[in-house]
Amino acid sequence: MIRVAAVGDVHVDADVVGRYRPALEQLPEVADVLLVAGDLTRHGTVEEARSFVTEFGGLAVPVVTVLGNHDHQSDQADAVCTVLTDAGITVLEGASTVLELNGHRLGVAGAKGFGGGFGGTCASNFGEREMKDFVRTGEDAANRLEAALTGVTCDALVALTHYAPVPETLAGEPPEIHAFLGSYQLGRAIDAAGTTLALHGHAHHGTERGRTPGGVPVRNVAHPVIKQAYNVYRLLSEEIQATLVHA
Amino acid sequence: MTPQVDDYLEAEIQRLLAEDDRVAEQGITVQRREQAVVLGGEVESPERRDEICRRITSRFPHVQITCDIGITRTTVPADAEEIS
Repeated sequence: MIRVAAVGDVHVDADVVGRYRPALEQLPEVADVLLVAGDLTRHGTVEEARSFVTEFGGLAVPVVTVLGNHDHQSDQADAVCTVLTDAGITVLEGASTVLELNGHRLGVAGAKGFGGGFGGTCASNFGEREMKDFVRTGEDAANRLEAALTGVTCDALVALTHYAPVPETLAGEPPEIHAFLGSYQLGRAIDAAGTTLALHGHAHHGTERGRTPGGVPVRNVAHPVIKQAYNVYRLLSEEIQATLVHA
Repeated sequence: MTPQVDDYLEAEIQRLLAEDDRVAEQGITVQRREQAVVLGGEVESPERRDEICRRITSRFPHVQITCDIGITRTTVPADAEEIS
């Protein structure tokens, strides 16, 4: 069994340092790894990245992250990533990592993702240059995620994004802004790769649980959604009774 | 004269919440009630909640603002979910 702790949208700045730490110190008792689904900081500054490292660094379990839109606000994403990686925190963007945990290989493939919307109300690659740039940015992000997912060999595969891959986990958000919260192309990438679990954030007023058209469980772990320091998901559990498992 | 709480004012408040460097929040809801505005949602610290209320009240001094913003808890989860 692998125990995956996850949270997103922690928006750390100096005022948040110390709020998560007591719960994070208990991670080894309840989880084998912590995944953070973007928006690690408020404005994406190096100073805020250092605050994130103070709060989420030096833990007894590996920490794997993707960036979110807030982490790009100050155009210092590369410097933010350097601060994180120097502290031993993995940052994925169209990339993957494999962790050996409890005798199993956990693959985590991640990308920030982008908007674009979902079937029926998605944006199209048509018209003004600005609109085509918007759609292409979303397509490129999904392609990077798919390449990362399909390149992993592991026992359980987690897709980690900031933007949402399905509309179900956006329930609670105004439908008018769904196109800015995720895209169906991310869901298609997840379905293409035999993914075990998809985790995302970004939608503060969304819903925790959803599923891709291909049947992959999706969880929105944005902090205002889960309302605790992190959620824990168990993968490859030997305790599951087949008769209780629903499709 | 008390300004009308209309679509334009609501949009201005929403943009300020995201674009003001001292706020930078996209998860705050803005509800219109008669001549008042109710701010909802959750933030990461009491300082952020108080700053939001200060900035909005300062920018729109003639609008009655009710700040109903909570602080998201950071407790350890009591259980785990089996993924199958």
